[in-house]
Formats: sequence, structure tokens, C-alpha cells
Amino acid sequence: MESERKPTRVALIGNPNCGKTSLFNFITGLQQKVGNFPGVTVDIKSAETKLPDGDVISWVDFPGLYNLYPTSRDEKMVVQSLLDTKDIYHPELICYVADVTKLEKHLLLLDQLRDMQIPLILVLNMIDLAQKENLEINAELLAKKLNIPVISVSGRSGEGIENLFDAINEKIERVKISIDSPHSGYKFSEDEKIIIGQLEPVFPAFSAYKRLLIAHHATWLPFISASERIHLLSILGENSFKSLPFQVREVTHRYNSFTPLISTVLKKKVSDGFTFSEKLDGLLTHRFWGLIVFLAVLTFLFQSLYIWAEWPMTLIEEGFSSLSNYVSTHLPEGWFNPFLTEGLIAGLGGILVFIPQIALLFFLISILEEIGYMSRAAFLFDRIMQLFGLNGRSMVALISGGACAIPAIMSTRTIASWKERLITILVTPFISCSARIPVYTVLIGLVIPSKTVGYIFNLQGLAFLGLYLLGIFAALISGLLLKWWIKSDEPSFLLLELPDYKLPVWRNVGLTVWEKVKTFTLEAGKIILIISVVLWFLANNGPSLKIEAAQKEAKRVSIEKQLSQEESDNLSKAYLLEASYAGILGKTIEPVIRPLGFDWKIGIALLTSFAAREVFVGTMATIYSLGQNDDELTLRERLAVEKNPETGKSRYDLATGISLLLFYVFAMQCMSTLAVVKRETKSWKWPMIQFLGMTIIAYISSFIAFQVLS
Amino acid sequence: MVKVHTSEKILSCAKVGVKGVVSHFKDEHVACRLISMGLVPGCTIEILHKAPFGGGWYVKSDCLHIAMRSEEACCIVLR
Repeated sequence: MESERKPTRVALIGNPNCGKTSLFNFITGLQQKVGNFPGVTVDIKSAETKLPDGDVISWVDFPGLYNLYPTSRDEKMVVQSLLDTKDIYHPELICYVADVTKLEKHLLLLDQLRDMQIPLILVLNMIDLAQKENLEINAELLAKKLNIPVISVSGRSGEGIENLFDAINEKIERVKISIDSPHSGYKFSEDEKIIIGQLEPVFPAFSAYKRLLIAHHATWLPFISASERIHLLSILGENSFKSLPFQVREVTHRYNSFTPLISTVLKKKVSDGFTFSEKLDGLLTHRFWGLIVFLAVLTFLFQSLYIWAEWPMTLIEEGFSSLSNYVSTHLPEGWFNPFLTEGLIAGLGGILVFIPQIALLFFLISILEEIGYMSRAAFLFDRIMQLFGLNGRSMVALISGGACAIPAIMSTRTIASWKERLITILVTPFISCSARIPVYTVLIGLVIPSKTVGYIFNLQGLAFLGLYLLGIFAALISGLLLKWWIKSDEPSFLLLELPDYKLPVWRNVGLTVWEKVKTFTLEAGKIILIISVVLWFLANNGPSLKIEAAQKEAKRVSIEKQLSQEESDNLSKAYLLEASYAGILGKTIEPVIRPLGFDWKIGIALLTSFAAREVFVGTMATIYSLGQNDDELTLRERLAVEKNPETGKSRYDLATGISLLLFYVFAMQCMSTLAVVKRETKSWKWPMIQFLGMTIIAYISSFIAFQVLS
Repeated sequence: MVKVHTSEKILSCAKVGVKGVVSHFKDEHVACRLISMGLVPGCTIEILHKAPFGGGWYVKSDCLHIAMRSEEACCIVLR
């Protein structure tokens, strides 16, 4: 019987920055998994653990919110779960987490939750900080006054967690016997009483306060049936119900009721001077120095990204290439062998090679988040971002876009305004991601001379920087256009709490990195893998007549030119690629891309880049029959001597090179990103607009560049 | 909600370093959000910093630090 007992669902709820997630991470560690609220892309973390006495707890870490009148989608989901007893995340017990150093602000939501008919425990978090700040709290008195258990813990060090488990155990026992529902003592206004009374026949199963909340959220709550909603809205219409004034009144009354209580339980040492955080912000949010520090942080971020991520990336590349060699020599020949080595293993390698950069970037970003710096950056850049239809918080997405657009796009969920979030999602892929670097490396080396200009600047380095800036520029300009184009009447605001600076909790940093890497591998990985395999098929199969002809031609040329075995193998591969379906596709699109200075060979590489842009390098290496020597330097040398049969001049001259570079800066060539955009925007409309828009911009700019330069 | 006061002191007209007591808010949406974050009428409020490029405000109220846009700061009326 013991093992069949259903786990008790315990929710962690609290204000943003209350340290809830630290606590959740401490309790659940790697057992947590990220799920979705049904039908919406709001992440919710949950995990099952066993309490010391054997009770199984299913923990749910709800998104942070300030009160039960939500503004963002994340917050709405919390309210929905709390109201709807059939919701899959509806908690049986709430651990309300409050930052003890900001208790007077954090009690509002608790006060509302006390009217939700769900058993509660108040968890006073950051008790370690309270001791440092000479803050004295009388938890026993607070528990007595609120009539709920109060436990002091530190999510950072784990102090007091056992007491929390004991309290939960005790609470669960009591919940089993009878409904244990607290009550805040909030007194409804006359107008509220009328609404609550009239809603009773429609929603008889709900308590008075829950009915009031249903009235406030009448338009969007999903569990209300169509007929109930019509009835509900007509009642609200008859009473000319206005949500906002009711909210203001309720919240103000609640504050007035618990503020006196706080002064009796909390003794604070009042300090006159500025706190450490405020002093630091004097520099970090300074109009001038703040920007300098931000630029320094950003430079450090990207420098370390390229320096530290390089060796693990080389290691992964070499590892996969030797694995592929090993498999190819130890497996019998036949179609399966190249499918495994060139399709599957190469595809897997193409996914894993991004992981060092993604992990490192999110390691650094989550340290900045943990410290509290990211919200300062959002504050500094909000105005500029607003000009371009974005939000201060878009900064995080744009920076993350430097590694990979996929996790960057998923990080936009914290932006409350749908319009600003959508624009951020649409423009982020313009930021040069790490998959573009190998392409830039090959082409810049090819067409830009390595000269020193202005004494210290290397021309190639400047070109690299130029491409990055071009991407940022394109993102901002498109933001500007989208801001005019997308209509929205929802209010846009930035009310951002700036938390005190804290040392990072390494457990949180580690878990963030783990989660982001996992998401990337699963989300982008499967698409990259599928496309790699499809492309492998297209590149290795073709109409049999054409293939035979290509084989014969390759043999003839090899004999004629007296090529070595390896050379003739590589030559035959190149001929076969030309005759394959991929080659046919490349030739089909050649007329379209010829005005950009591209031939069918580049056409094939453009198509294969849909798996991931860096596949360009490998494809070009195959086309130019370089065999296994597909590193950037060899390819560059080979491309440099390629002649255009029509003009007799170098194929990859400045015009074609620049045109191709511009194409890679602007074009939307990443299927995985499109899939994520589809998931985040819930329709194919936006990814299609994004795809068309970016590709048209790429085409036009490449066209102009080629026509002007050639 | 919009009250006309000739001598009304709006937060966004104040300079960095100014301290005041919140009297009321001119916009209900902003009021709702600020109140729920803990910025209630009667609170002392101090402007600590202003963002560059004519950007937002960094204000302090008791233990709370909030960044807001000028649009929101315009709605806060001081006593």
C-alpha cells in the first residue's frame, strides 16, 4: 500500500527574486524536469522527491508573481492552476516563499493566497542574509498571528530545510483528515459582495474570493465553459464591473491590514547611508560609466567564449571524425556504412560541436543573472531598445543570440508585452550566431587581405567585426519596421525590480547550463539530425543514369590525368555529388542565385546550410573533392584557385565573396530556429514572415553587393 | 482617477536625489502594478539614478529598488 500512495503536490510560490528557484534547486537538484502548461509555452519545473519519513512529494516551481492579478502569460498560468482544482499542477499544499529581508512587500501575495482554500506554509527565505543585516524576526509570533506554520530557511546553504520537511509532513497528515483552509480576514467592499453573491449560482463550488478572481479574469480563464462565460460576462456588464479600481482597493486594504503586524514581528536596524548594492549601482547604472562597464562585460563574455570554447570544440570535432573513420573501416561496405558515418555520425557531431559555446555562454549569462547584473543591463538599455520596438529585457536574448538563436528565443518569455516579445523573437536570428563563424572564417580569409590598417587593426579582424555589427544593425532596423507594422493596444511597461547584488549560487548556475544544453540538444538537435540525414541522402543518391555517367566520367578523367587513388576517389565523389539530387537541386536554383554571383556549387552549400550554417564548410569541401581535409584552411586554399569558366578569373573574387558573406549574415537558414519560433509564437505565420523577410533582405543586399563590386 | 492639482508634484519632474512621499497614481494600470510590487501611497520614494539616452528611472522605496520608464514615473504623484 505504501508504495501506491499518490505523491502530494506541493507548490513553491512567491514573488520574483524571492529565492524560490534556489530553494527548489536545493531540494530537487538534477531530478527536476521542465514541463509545459498544457497548450501554452510556459515552462514549469517539477520534480519528485521522497521526504525522510517516506512521503513522496511532487514539487512544482511556479513562475514568480506579485499578486493574483497577472500581466504576463507566465503569471496567468499560476492563477489558473490555483483556481482550477482539476488543473494538472493544482497544488495540495503551497509553500509560500518570502524573502525575509523584504517581508513587508512579500506578504501581499500570501495574504491573497490565504483566501484560496489551499493549505499554506510560509517559508522565510534568506535567513542567512537576515542575520548579516541584523534583522530580527519573531517567526513564532508571525505563525500565531497568521495561523499558518512559518519556517525559516536558506535556499542558498540549505539551512532549515529539515524543519520545512517536518512542517510539510505534519501538514500533509492534517490535510488528509480535513480541509485545512486558512483565511486572511480580508473584508470585501459592498460592490465586491454584490458580484460575489450574483456569481454564487454560476460557480457554486468556488469560495467567495475565488469567485471574485473569476470575475476579474472572466475573459481569459480557460476552464470556464462558453455558456458560463456568457452568463458571467452579462452579470459583470449589468453591474458595470471595473477590474482595475477593485484591484487597487483590494490590494491597498490588504497592505493596510498586515503592515501593522510586520512591525510587531520584525525588528530592523535602520541604516541611513547607502547599501552596498546602491553604492555599486552608482557605478554600474551610471549614465556613462554604466555603459563602459557593460561594454567591458560584453567584450569579456565574447572573448572568453571564443578562447575557452575552442579546445573542447576541436576535441569534439576530432573525436567524431575518428569515430567516423573507425566505424567506416570496421563495418562492412554498403549503403549502411556511409549512411552511418557521413549521415548520422556527422550529423550528431554537427550538433554536439555547438555545445561548448552554448554551455559557456549560458554559464556566463547565468552568473550575471545570479549576481543581479542582467536587470541593470535591461534598465540601462530599455530606452534604446524601446526605440526599436524591443524591451530592456530583450538584451538577454540579443546577447544569447551570439551563441545560438534557439535558447535566445526561448529566453524572451520573461518579456510581458507580446508585441515586444514577438519583435525580439523575429530579430534575434540576425545576430551572428556561432554557426556562422566557420563560414565567415573561410570567406573573409579568402577575399579580404590580411593587412594592417591604422597601425593596430587587422583588416580581416575589422571585416569580422563589421559582419557582427551588420547583424546587430539589421536586427535593430527590422525592429524599427516591425514596431510600425505590428499593431498592438496592450500597454507596454518596464517595471523591473532590481534585486540586491548577491554572490552566485553555483548550483543554480550549473542547473541553468544543464537545462539550456539539454533544450538545445533536444530541440535543435533532432531537426539538425533529420536534415543532416535527408541531405546526406540527397547528396548520395541521384537518377541512376546520371550517376553511372558521372562514375564513368570520373574514371576517364582520373586515368587521363593519372591521378593517385586518393585523388581519383575525391574526384569521383565530386562528380557524384554533381549528379546527385542535391546537385540537380543546386543546378535548378542556379538561375535564381546567379545574379548574386553564386554558381550551382554554392547553391548546394546554401541548401545544406539549412541543417546548420557551418555545414557550408563541409559541403564545399566535398564539392571541391577535398575528401577528409575539410578544415577551413585547406578549403580556403582550394577556393582561392577556383576559376570561373566563363570569365577565366578567380571564382571567389571580392564581389562573390562579399555577396556570399552578406547572404550568410542576413538569410534565415536555420530550420531549428524556425521550428522554435513556430513553437513560441503558436503559428506558422511568424516563422514564415521571418523566413521570407530575412531571405529577401539577404537576396537584395547580396544582389546589390555583387552587381556593384563586379 | 485623474485629479487636477495645480501644485501636483510628479515624480518624473523631480531630479536625481529627490525624496518624497507617494500621494497617489494617475493611471490605474500603473497603480495596480506598482502597488502589488509594494509601492503603495504613503511610501517614501527616492530617485537614485536615471538611465542614459533619456531612459528610465531607478527609484528606491524602503527596501525595494525598482526600474521604471518615464511613462510610469509620470503617473506617480508626490505629496
